[in-house]
Amino acid sequence: MNRLKQVRSILPFIIFAMILFLLWRGLGLRPNQVPSPLINQSAPEFSLPDLLDAKKSVTHKEFAGHVTFVNVWATWCVSCAEEHRALLQLAQDAHIEFLGLNYKDDTIAAKKWLQQYGNPYKRVAVDSDGQAAIDWGVYGTPETFVIDKKGVIRYKQVGPIDNDAWEKTLKPLVEKLRNERA
Amino acid sequence: MVPELGSFAIILALCFSIIQGVSGFKPFRRLLRLSMTAAIIQFIFLTIAMLCLIASFVMQDITVIYVREHSHALLPVLYRIGAAWGGHEGSLLLWCLILAGWTVAFILFSDKKLSQSSRSNIMMILGFISCGFITFLFATSNPFQRDFPASLITGNDLTPILQDPGLIFHPPMLYLGYVGFAIGFAFAISALIEGKLNQEWAHACRPWIVLPWSFLSCGIVLGSWWAYRELGWGGWWFWDPVENASLLPWLSATALLHSLVVSEKRQSFKGWTVLLAIITFTLSLLGTFLVRSGVLVSVHAFANDPTRGLFLLCYLAVIIGGAFLLYGFRIKDFYQDPQFELLSRETFLLLNSVILLTAVFTIVIGTLYPIILDALSLGKISVGEPYFNLVFLPVILPLLLLMGFAPHVHWKKQAAGLLWKKMRFTLFFSLIIAVLVPFCLGFEFSGLTCLGIFLSVWIILATVQYAHTLKQIELKHWGMIVAHVGIAIVALGVTVNKSYSAERQIKMLPGESVSLAGYQFTFVNVDEMRGVNYEAVTASFDVQKNNSIPERLEAEQRIYTAHQETLGKPGILVNPFRDLYLALGNGFPDGGWSVRIYYKPMVRWIWAGGFLLLIGGFLSLLSQIKKRDENE
Repeated sequence: MNRLKQVRSILPFIIFAMILFLLWRGLGLRPNQVPSPLINQSAPEFSLPDLLDAKKSVTHKEFAGHVTFVNVWATWCVSCAEEHRALLQLAQDAHIEFLGLNYKDDTIAAKKWLQQYGNPYKRVAVDSDGQAAIDWGVYGTPETFVIDKKGVIRYKQVGPIDNDAWEKTLKPLVEKLRNERA
Repeated sequence: MVPELGSFAIILALCFSIIQGVSGFKPFRRLLRLSMTAAIIQFIFLTIAMLCLIASFVMQDITVIYVREHSHALLPVLYRIGAAWGGHEGSLLLWCLILAGWTVAFILFSDKKLSQSSRSNIMMILGFISCGFITFLFATSNPFQRDFPASLITGNDLTPILQDPGLIFHPPMLYLGYVGFAIGFAFAISALIEGKLNQEWAHACRPWIVLPWSFLSCGIVLGSWWAYRELGWGGWWFWDPVENASLLPWLSATALLHSLVVSEKRQSFKGWTVLLAIITFTLSLLGTFLVRSGVLVSVHAFANDPTRGLFLLCYLAVIIGGAFLLYGFRIKDFYQDPQFELLSRETFLLLNSVILLTAVFTIVIGTLYPIILDALSLGKISVGEPYFNLVFLPVILPLLLLMGFAPHVHWKKQAAGLLWKKMRFTLFFSLIIAVLVPFCLGFEFSGLTCLGIFLSVWIILATVQYAHTLKQIELKHWGMIVAHVGIAIVALGVTVNKSYSAERQIKMLPGESVSLAGYQFTFVNVDEMRGVNYEAVTASFDVQKNNSIPERLEAEQRIYTAHQETLGKPGILVNPFRDLYLALGNGFPDGGWSVRIYYKPMVRWIWAGGFLLLIGGFLSLLSQIKKRDENE
């Protein structure tokens, strides 16, 4: 009993010392560089309605056997509008298979948008309340995830895909992934 | 000249803080007088330093690096005064000034019955705390550091989100709370050194917890209100590390307030009281550390520098590590067998402490978890709102249930049957209200919502019932009644807000309209305007419900010229039951705008309840002063 009391009285000091040690270690860390924790993890499972045909659903099974770009977009997002032309071009010239994740958007507006500006996506999943985006760890729009043939996330592009990002990073990555075995 | 005067004033203040600390070592009357005089002189010099800093800002003396980085020729004078504590160096000076201010307040207003040895100890501890912080200020973050020549630079300007009237009041209010707990800490250490904690001690200590607690409550409310208006997401609490840093000491101070009552009235819980006083001040310092060291990224971490972090860490290790060691060796003197039954007010107040400390623990874990993983090289993650909601709610909800009962429970022993007989109707009635009201108003049913409404109504009714059972409601009761009702109102606001908020994010062209929660928002036009140090686009919207007379809502998008930084100023339509909140996003080339619209029911209740806490605290303080005057 007395022993217990001794331990109890020194316990606050021990907890405090542990926290202090952590903070000391924490000082040398660089918290600003936060890579996506999902890299090299299997893509989160999902099953969402298809934008163009609400009766059908889009699921993670789409990823099997080929390299996919999951592109998070919305009609209210200005950078997505800037990125759109690049997506169309990549879909046509580089045969990239885009899967769109329409994030917190108005379904009618989104359909109209695709009719008006062209549709780079093979399928578009509707995530109107943003729940699926939470699983994907989406910070904002646009974001693009590169998924390999086994359905594993290999890269995350934050912000629009521009020429620089494509030539330097994405293009070599796609070539490498296409040569991997399913 | 003025900046040199400021630097010099800081050095002198440092000297006097050392005199204050050292002469508190022995409890001789003369030394005590010397210590007190030193503290007062220190306060005067720190005030001079602060005035020098404000003067440098007002005169826009850009040879001072700190002024150059946080001010701009075009910044309005009012914000220049606020800018004096808008950055790291200035807010640290404010910290030291406020500590000296509290020390002077202690000298002038503390209970005459407090023994001389306690006074000496308290002065000594406050002297050393102050000495450490002024050293930190002068050695690593002197706000008066100059740099010549700075001929053509106009200044960096204050971070746009800080250019808000809230900034002038929010940090001083928060610091009045944080720093004020230093007095309670000094009381606790003094009790440990002397090995005794009596009724006079507890009685003298209480005002020095109640007052900072009230200021801190107010500071948190102001901070939440500021974030709501400035950050543009319609949120009033983000579980951001810096917000947590202010909530943590508040939670443990709340536990301390209640534990002190037991120490004063029942001569019990002495170990708890001392421990909570130490923890509360630790959490205040930890908050300072987290904000100032850059260990955690957050929207608030304006100043980051590892060497400063290391200094603060050593300081924490010495002051708080020493305090906990002292606690470990001395606490056995305070141990006594519990003299109350299982069902008694003591038990309820003990549970209150335990629950609040558990809440503190879960938040500390959540806030530090990213560092823990990172330090052990297990990857980088960030802990967000879902975690905190998940762990905080189950901990805090039982506390709300207990809050209704606690005032009705007798000290020492309470018969369970009597309590049940007294409270059952109130309990049933609150349950019925919680189920019926959302149903009658046609809201969607949700268990958690009903629970939240039930607990809030229950606290209010039980508190009113308590007031009713009193023969006469005296001043000493009012503090508790108002503060408890305040908590209930916060809980009600949070419940309704979380349950029935709605939002929509959409691209709109002028002339288009959308509806949300029964309101029709019509985009009227866009207008350009110029402010003093920014250019702005103002978008006007007409808002109406069921074809009523439209109200005008204006949201702004500002570009601050010095930073080239854009900042949205959301438009908000307020009434007591709901806010309509509209934030302007980016513009499209075709003239459209991205807009976010939020419907926020009862959000004002959250802050109103928070201000009731401030009032409750002041009422409690008044009653303590009155009682003291009667005793003398």
